Amino acid sequence: MARNELILSDVTKRFGGLTAVDALSLKVEEGQIYGVIGPNGAGKTTVFNCITGIYKSEEGSVNWRGEEIRGLTPYQIVDRGIVRTFQTIRLFSQMSVAENIMSGRHIKSSQKLWHGIIHTAASRRDELFNWHKVEEQLDFFDLGEFAATPTGSLPYGIQRRVEMARALAVEPTLLILDEPAAGLNDKETLELLETIFKIRGKGVTVLLIEHDMDMVMEMTDYLAVINFGKLIAEGTPAEIQQNPAVIEAYLGSEDDDDE
Amino acid sequence: MKKLQGFGYPIFFVVMALLPHLLDSRWQAVAITFLIFAVVALSQDIILGKSGMFHMGQALFFGMGAYITAILNAQYGWPLLTTIPVAILVPAFFGVILAGPIVHLRGDYLLVTTIGFNIVFVQVVQNNLGGITGGPNGIFGLDSMSFFGIQLVSQVAVYYFAFAVLLVTLLIMRNLEKSKAGRALHYLREDQLAAESIGINTRIYKIFAFAVGAGIAGLAGTVFATQYSAVSPEAFNFMQSVLFFSIVIVGGSSVPGVLIGVFVMFVLPEIFREFATWRFFIFGFAMIAAMILRPHGIWPATFGKIPKFLIKGDNHGA
Ligand SMILES: Nc1ncnc2c1ncn2[C@@H]1O[C@H](COP(=O)(O)OP(=O)(O)O)[C@@H](O)[C@H]1O
Ligand SMILES: [Mg+2]
Repeated sequence: MARNELILSDVTKRFGGLTAVDALSLKVEEGQIYGVIGPNGAGKTTVFNCITGIYKSEEGSVNWRGEEIRGLTPYQIVDRGIVRTFQTIRLFSQMSVAENIMSGRHIKSSQKLWHGIIHTAASRRDELFNWHKVEEQLDFFDLGEFAATPTGSLPYGIQRRVEMARALAVEPTLLILDEPAAGLNDKETLELLETIFKIRGKGVTVLLIEHDMDMVMEMTDYLAVINFGKLIAEGTPAEIQQNPAVIEAYLGSEDDDDE
Repeated sequence: MKKLQGFGYPIFFVVMALLPHLLDSRWQAVAITFLIFAVVALSQDIILGKSGMFHMGQALFFGMGAYITAILNAQYGWPLLTTIPVAILVPAFFGVILAGPIVHLRGDYLLVTTIGFNIVFVQVVQNNLGGITGGPNGIFGLDSMSFFGIQLVSQVAVYYFAFAVLLVTLLIMRNLEKSKAGRALHYLREDQLAAESIGINTRIYKIFAFAVGAGIAGLAGTVFATQYSAVSPEAFNFMQSVLFFSIVIVGGSSVPGVLIGVFVMFVLPEIFREFATWRFFIFGFAMIAAMILRPHGIWPATFGKIPKFLIKGDNHGA
């Protein structure tokens, strides 16, 4: 059995004339909290979209556990244990928190299509089992009181938690978070930090984009810095802080930091 | 509204079960029409309301079921009830093969395509393709229903047949709500990209919605053919599809909403018979008013169908 490693080699993604991701290579190892940082528009989200099947990179390879996953569809990639959240939260906004989390149980559920028309003892058992799994996530993310609330009416910070709960309900091997702290206040950011450590404690590898430098330095084991679609540095947080190329990139892009 | 629904269903079922004994034969016919069109509108709701696909050709599947029953009965002598499986499965199969190439289309394109399918269907039956559809006059003189050899000639029998079909439809809708497949439809309707990114193969579920919607509409077609002992092309034309589409939008993709819509569209005009010629005029205005005043429909869809043990109030908060 191959190790739970994600290896990107020379991944290139272009939009018309713009090369959003330029021959990027990186390697996420099992059990890491791996951070991707870089100024706005550097291509971070695009890299994540190439990993999760939303875009197919024109060149390069995306290798997960020894398998080439470049070109697979998003749901095929989820099936292989990689689940993501979005920088701009994408919840099923008219549906309740519990139903949103239940969507994460979709691929785990044993129900067939025809069970949508006729229920059986087995399908009812499966249904109940998965609702109990939802309950576990509600407890883990302290969302129990909002179980029946439509997510569209909840504050931003709670919506972010719901989105993570939904992703974790899939029981992923690799969890990909696109700016999970965006829009959170200080207290919520601290809670998020704790949550991410707890998730890693469950054996889930975490790959995340983060804008907030302090948070990245505190949280990650390993970092990749991207600018103009290219990898400009990688290393432990301590190494990155010393890196002149990084300092330059960040000094050069002070004005597009929007908190 | 939840409470109202809790009381509403038992009362609705009891009233509907007693209804034919309270009505004269003209009103019995109206009640049967209500039941049939309620089933078709609910089948439309699976595709349009639950899955958010702008499908405006539901009369095609309805008509296909009706024609299958009529052809098998009039040309091949099948008893009416034995045509049911064919009248469900063939439209469901067509639902799959018609939906397959088009479900990826965006709302407006899908709408135009499904209208096209409906028009083609009406043309096919009107031109008597294969010599079995009876052309513009359709097919008439079907047998009456028989059940294990007992002839069910009365209108009351047809009523209970239609009522049973509605009950089966409601049961399927309820099962759908509490299943993986039914939820997948809601997820893809709300946000397709998010649904795919959580592991849902949306294409499969869209086609599934078409298959189920088409099968139920086909079954309603059997009831329709039974009621009139006849079928003809104009009963399944594009205008009918527009009505089913509008009923779901105006009613609001909920069972009560759809039933209210069908009542307003098909029963009210009978009550105010002198206004019957005005019905499209009145319904048109009602549609406009409803959409401006209640953009999510008269009785909007309710989500939040989650098990009770998850609803904990605030004994669980921070
Ligand atoms: N779908 C798209 N079509 C065209 N250009 C895009 C698209 N998505 C991203 N881009 C462009 O690619 C570059 C990288 O964007 P993105 O990956 O979102 O950056 P980041 O997440 O690092 O802020 C930007 O210049 C952006 O405008
Ligand atoms: Mg981004």
